[in-house]
Formats: sequence, C-alpha cells, structure tokens
Amino acid sequence: MNKKYDIVVLGGGPGGYVAAIRAAQLGFKTALIEKENLGGICLNWGCIPTKALLKSAELYDTMKNHAGDFGLKVEGLSFDFNKIIKRSRNVSKRVTKGVEYLMRKNKIDVIKGFGVITGKNGVIVSDEDGNSVAEIEFDKLIISTGGRPRELDIIPVDREKIITSKEAMTLSQLPGEMIIIGAGAIGVEFAYFYNVLGTKVTIIEMLDNIVPLEDKEVSVALANSFKKRGIEIHTSTKVLKVGKKGKKVTVEIENSGGKQKLQSDIVLSAIGVVGNIENIGLENIGVETERGFIKVNKETFETNIKNIYAIGDVTGPPLLAHVASAEGIHCVENIKGLNPPAIDYNSIPGCTYTHPQVASIGLTEEKAVEQGYKIKVGKFPYSASGKATAAGDREGFVKLIFDEKYGELLGAHIIGAEATELIAELGIAKELEADYETIVKTVHAHPTLSEMIMEAAGNAYDESIHI
Amino acid sequence: MRKEILMPKMGESITEGTIIKWHKKVGDKVKKDEIIFEISTDKVDTEIPAPADGVLTEILVGENETVEVDTVVAVMDTESETAEESVTEATKEEETAKEGENLVDIPMPKMGESVMEGTIIKWHKKVGDKVKKDEILFEISTDKVDTEVPSPVDGVLAEILAGENETVEVDTIVARIATSQKVPTGKPVTEKKETVTPTESKTVEAPVQKEKFDKSKTNRFYSPVVLNIARKENISFDELEKIEGSGIKGRVTKKDVLKYLDNRKTGKVEAATKVTYEKGEGVEIIPMDNMRKRIMEHMIQSRDTSVHVSEVMEVDMTKIHNFIEANRERFQKEEGIKLTYMAFISHAAVKALREYPFMNASIDGDKIILKKYINLGIAVAVEPNGLIVPNIKNADEKSIRGLAKAIADLSYRARNKKLNPDEVVDGTFSITNYGVFGALFGNPIINQPEVAILGVGAVVKKPVVVEVNGNDLIAIKPMMYLSLSHDHRLVDGMLGGLFLRKVKELLENFDENMV
Repeated sequence: MNKKYDIVVLGGGPGGYVAAIRAAQLGFKTALIEKENLGGICLNWGCIPTKALLKSAELYDTMKNHAGDFGLKVEGLSFDFNKIIKRSRNVSKRVTKGVEYLMRKNKIDVIKGFGVITGKNGVIVSDEDGNSVAEIEFDKLIISTGGRPRELDIIPVDREKIITSKEAMTLSQLPGEMIIIGAGAIGVEFAYFYNVLGTKVTIIEMLDNIVPLEDKEVSVALANSFKKRGIEIHTSTKVLKVGKKGKKVTVEIENSGGKQKLQSDIVLSAIGVVGNIENIGLENIGVETERGFIKVNKETFETNIKNIYAIGDVTGPPLLAHVASAEGIHCVENIKGLNPPAIDYNSIPGCTYTHPQVASIGLTEEKAVEQGYKIKVGKFPYSASGKATAAGDREGFVKLIFDEKYGELLGAHIIGAEATELIAELGIAKELEADYETIVKTVHAHPTLSEMIMEAAGNAYDESIHI
Repeated sequence: MRKEILMPKMGESITEGTIIKWHKKVGDKVKKDEIIFEISTDKVDTEIPAPADGVLTEILVGENETVEVDTVVAVMDTESETAEESVTEATKEEETAKEGENLVDIPMPKMGESVMEGTIIKWHKKVGDKVKKDEILFEISTDKVDTEVPSPVDGVLAEILAGENETVEVDTIVARIATSQKVPTGKPVTEKKETVTPTESKTVEAPVQKEKFDKSKTNRFYSPVVLNIARKENISFDELEKIEGSGIKGRVTKKDVLKYLDNRKTGKVEAATKVTYEKGEGVEIIPMDNMRKRIMEHMIQSRDTSVHVSEVMEVDMTKIHNFIEANRERFQKEEGIKLTYMAFISHAAVKALREYPFMNASIDGDKIILKKYINLGIAVAVEPNGLIVPNIKNADEKSIRGLAKAIADLSYRARNKKLNPDEVVDGTFSITNYGVFGALFGNPIINQPEVAILGVGAVVKKPVVVEVNGNDLIAIKPMMYLSLSHDHRLVDGMLGGLFLRKVKELLENFDENMV
C-alpha cells in the first residue's frame, strides 16, 4: 500500500485526532497513524479513566462520611475495588469508540501501527511484529506522539510494586499502604482516590507545597484538607532511593529533619512526563529536540524542518490535553493560511479532581507580584455561599487577582466543589479581557456556586455584597 | 519571640467571632500555616492557620466563647527572630517604635493625581553621606513636574535602591536612611514642597481622561481592559480605531494597545522608513530627557487628535507701541517688570474669548465642553531644550497690569522650575510668542485638549498704505501678524475669522485708560 496525503498525523491522542478532524474539515486529505487505541493517554490512561475512578471514590466518600449530614441512613455500605476499576476501563472504551466514529465521519484514514519517518515526505507504518503495513507519502506531517511518565534511576519502576499512573488505575487489589512520589495533579488525585477507599497514603514532594504550580493559598488549603483525611504529607523532601525489601517497598527520604526510611506496599511514581521522541525516525531527517521534547516555533508549531510540525506533550509543557487540542487546531489552521490568533499560554486553565477540587487560570498571586504587577485580590469563601451551604460543600474559596493599573483579570484560583466547572467562566473573562466591573455587573443566577466569582470580583474592590 | 494571635476580621461589618474548636493545646508545637483553631462568624466559618513556626504558649479564649475582632485569643512563642509576613498589627507597631538605629524608607513621591511613576535624575548624596532633615537627597522628573526630594530625617544615607535615570513606580522605595530619630509613621517624604516644575503642555491630562468611548460609532469590539488602557493613557477614540488588531477576527487586544502605546511613547507610531545611526565621528547620540520625551508625545498626540487649520491677520500696533514707549520706565519702576506686548495681546484675547465661547472649549467624544472660566496658557521656553505652558487662572478677572505681572511671574518660575503642578493643567486657550526671535508668523500646534492657539509674531515697523482724507498715503507703522491655529472639528473658518478680527480690533483701538 502506498498512498499520498496532504496531512499525515502521527499519534492519535487529544492533539493528534483533533488536528486530523480540523484538517479534514478544512479540506485536506488526511491520515492518522496510531499504534494503540485512539484517544491517547487522555482517553485511555489519563484524564477520562481517572475521572471515572474519582467519581466512585467521591460517591463513596459522601455516602460514608456525610450521609448523616443530609438525613440519610446508609447501612452495610461497601465497595468492590475490581468493579470500580472495571467501570473505569469501560468508560475509557466507550469514549475511544466515539473517537473512532469521528474519524469515519470526517473520512480520515486511520492506519493502525507504529509510524517511523523515513524522509521529508515519507513515513513507514509497521505492525507489532515489525512487518511493514503501509508506506505513506505526505505533504505535511504533524507529530503528536505525546508523552509518558518520567522514570528515574533512583525509582526503579517494575510496574508491580513500584508503579506509574498507568498501573495505578488497573491494580488488581486495593493496597494497604501507598507512597506517592510527586504531588502534582496526578499524584494528589491518586492520593485522594486511594485514601477514600482506605489505603494509608503518604505523599512526598520535593518542592515546598503540594500542587506546587497553584497559588500558595490554594496549595496550603488542599494540604490541610488532606491532612484532615489522614493523608501524610512530606513537602520539601527529596527521595534518595527506592528499593524492594521482601513484599514491601522502602523509600529513603531526606528533608530538614534529616534522613528517614519509609515502607509501603506500593510506591507510585508521579514525577512528571517525558516526550515520546524515540524510534519515530526524527534523526532520519534531523528534527531538532531539546531536553527530551521536540523544539517548535510556538506560533506555527513548525519544527526546524519546514513541512514537519509537532504539537502537544511531545513539544513540552504545559502538558495538558486541552493545550494539545488547541495546538493541533492552531497548527492546521495556520497551514491552511487562516492566520489564527496566537494561543495565549497565560490563559490555560488547569484542573485537579480531588475533593475539594482545584482549578486555576492565569497568574498566581506570587507570580503576579514577581512580574511586577500591583495587584488587587478578591476572595470569597464557599462557606458564605447559599448554594454551597445547601449542597453541604462549605469547604474552599474563590480567589481572583486583578491588575490595579488597568483592571485586567490576571489570575483566578478556585478550591472547592465544582471548581473545575466554575473556572470556564474565568477563561472567557480572560480571553475577552474583562475587568472586575465586567464580572461584577454580569448578573449571575441565584442560587449558584458561580455567584462566588461575582462576589470575589466585588471583594477585590470592596463591593462584595454577601461578605 | 512572643507573637499574639488575634481574632481575625472576616468581612467588612463583622465585629466578632466565636471560637468553635482549638486544634492545638498549650505547649503544642505548630508549623506555619498549620490550622490552630476554627472560628465561626455571622458570615463564614473558617480555620485559622499559624502565622509562623513555634509553640503555642497561651490560650486566652476558650471554645464556644465569642470575642470581638482583634482580641488576642492566643499567644505563640515563635522560633525565629525574623518577623514573618503575617505579623500581627501589634508587632508591626512595636518595630517602628523601636529605639536606636532605625532605617527610614524613602519612597518615590506621588506628584499628582494620575502620576504613576517618576525618574530619578540625580542623586545629591551617596551611600554613607550624612544628611540633614530637609536637605535635598535627589531630584526626580515625572510626567507632571520635576522636583527635588528632601530628606525627612537627620541620618546617614544607608542604601540607594534606584539609580540615576531609573524610572520607578510611585511609592517604590528608592533609598533608606539610617537614623536615630523617632520616625513619624506614614510616608515621611510626601509633605515636601510641591513647587518646582517643567513639563510642557501637560494640560492633556485631566479632561481627556474622562473620555467616554461611544461604542455606537464603531463596528469594532473593544474589551474592557483595552478601554481602560485607552482612558488611562489618553488614547483617543480615533487613535484606537486605527490600531491594527491581532486577536480573533482582528480584535484589538491588550497586547496591541500596549504595543501602540510603547511606539507612541518612543515616537515610532508612523515609522515608515527608519534610519539607524551609530555613535561615531559624525554623530553624537544624546538620550532625551523627560521633558523632551513628553513634548514629543504631546505634539504627536495633538497632531493626531485635532484637525489643524491656521489663519493670519495683520494688526496695526501703533497705539500700543506708543503707549509702551511712553510708559516703559514708569511701569518698570512701579511694578518692577518690563511692559511687553504680551500683556495687551493676552487681554485682547481674553475679551475675544468671552465674546466667542466656542473658542474656549474642548471636545469630548460627540459633546462640546464649554468652559465658563478662562485659564490662559502662556508658552514658555525652558533652557536648554524645553517648553512648558503654564496658565493664568481666571485670566478674565485680571487687568492688563495684572496680566503683565502674571505673565512675568509664570515665565520666571517656569524657567526656574518653580511652578506648581496645578499651574500646568486645565488651561482653556493658549498663546505662544515666537515673535521674540523675529519670526513674523507661524502655525502653532494646539495645546490639547484646547481647540485653538494664538501665535504672536514680531512687531516690525514697515510701510503701509493708510487713507488720510480720502487719499492713499504710505506711512511707517509698527505692524504685527497674529496666527490662529484652530481645531476644525469644532471651530470653522468663520468663527476663527471673527475671533481673530475681534482681537485685532481690540488691539488697534486700544484705549490707554484701560491700564
């Protein structure tokens, strides 16, 4: 088989498949090469299946610890760990099926196999046994091979006792103890999940705070909430060595208190992501890479080779599905000559699905000050919201940061119920360059959690009504 | 170190709170940010974290007790001497009251309502120098005024945090003085004398700022932040309309406006062909001082805002010329100043403005702002390379003698940097006298947001045709050209002509009894 396409997309994750759809919409003859299921990490081993797991945990948490608050009586409550895992896998399967349908609908040729770039206009696709299944010619190639969990020598992953996020969502039985190394979004989500189901969870983070990219106030609030749940947290702590000892895994750590040895059934390594740049033939045409990621022009997503583009995790942070999708669309529209406005990397929302949830967009208070802004900060607590009180979600707050000079919304930080849905409004506000007044004067429905955003904006200028 | 923990204020009108639960007991070690107790107020329930690492030494308010905001509820013994960010008010006060060597912060002073930053032109002291209270520490230049900043205390200059030619925001600490004096709290430097100035036509400031953009006049969408920037930075609606947008569907974004602003400030707005010069034998490169930069900005802005048209009339100055010749010495003796044509021309202009109020106006979007007061701007050249337009407040209430004195006073103080900030704002009409150098006529640029400016040429004796008893004769007369530049958006040729003719008539029919 030897076929020629306008655009070939290498890798069918949320960057690749979205780029392929947009390309087909714009009239390009498009093919997508994928070695596993469509949907990439996101649909198969990330965003979606973990949300399924977390929903089970959240429901269980509510029934077990808060049923009485609502006047409910639950007797004999229990769970089946394997069924929780199974549901998560089914959810994943269902959404990837949806993507397959979208490929058919947009008449995109999906070529199953592993693609290797052979020249500036060619790619060879092989099956699992290494047999060539297709030779494809392209005008433009978009590399969207994504990333995988980063592994370090001092944490020898064996995928049984010392695992990555992928194994953490398919364990065959609930571990009694788990040490999680790395307190980014992935680390804290699994911490919440396993803690709720009864695992004794310990988090180790090298930086000063858990969820270290978030506003410090949010990080501290989440840490306090976790500690109340009984999750042990070691911040500013380095992992020196991880090793197996009989049925247990030992973790040697060091912090200002000195060295210490911890023991656990399972160690989950959640220390970041590296790009999938190996074995895809980059060296055959000399595509430049930098610290494990492909180097691109962030306005066109062109690599150093003119007709070769790269998007998403394989190009480095921010490592988020929605960023990959946005880059895929931008890349294709740019190829078409539509002159799309540049992606504003200061307005990318980030979401963490613990309980309380964490969501943010733009600058943290610390970053805003560091960048020389004079700021006005507005806060509103969930405990002052009627809707939150009625729903029994009084934990958390909304925090908005405005530039004092021009009134611009610089950042928004929410910790609490539905934070990940609430953040959308602030994305629009930032994109449309709203100032505090725009938010305050926008009538928000009552009773909703979104009223807190209006109130927090008012609070920054001493106009808040309900506090 | 002992640290008191107060009942926090959880909202505007919340005056008390109830302690629901203590998470720590006396003697417990606590870490910074660790929850020490929970409170409930009328509005919210919340957890209170420790302000620093330490040991809880006293609990003064028990569970379920309600106390007023700011009541001390517990005491901690903190481990370190260093005060943390969340020090309570009490400890802050303690620090400022400390005996012995104090460091006094010297901030960049605020020189007027909308002045946000200032440039340090010169340091009069260096680190280690002794300074006396009220002795000049450094000189600054801001959008409005240049001024000298005196020391608020006796002491030694301990630190300089902003060097010469650095521009910093108002209230940024630029120096620290070590002193043994007790320092009054608050900003010590702000009481400095607000006199000294030079900037040119800074009149732009106040009225334009309030410009409301009429959204019905445009098909474009401007975001709230873009409009805020435009208002703050005096970008007119017309300017805004010309900015190319880089956002979705060509929308003008914050970035586009800030870029435009940057270009306007550096005069690059219409940089068609740019020639770069490098320092060498044939070229000397001198950085512009603040005043020069602002003149540049305001001139470009005026040209971009107003539709300039000019008209010229010739005026027979015989009567005034004769009067000045006859009274020069007496006036010098009586008033201590030189009697000049400017006082007479100003007086005539003010009278004409009273008759034609549209000349004493501003444009605000699609509205005309008529001003009932006449603040007459007088352009003054400032050595070595500057210009400023202070104005005579309520010039219509002054006699020719009063105007002569006011002009002499303003010019003197302008040249010696002694103007008050309010003397360069809120002018309503301006006069510029290029005749002093012998020029006959010119076409002056309007001082925004005014709508006209009168240019005064040199008074020169020349032959003119006069009619005596029906016969044309040639006579020698002191003649002068007046040029009026007016903004055609509001002032048409007829009004400009009528106004100019009125000034001419008043000057030619001068009556000495008026002085």
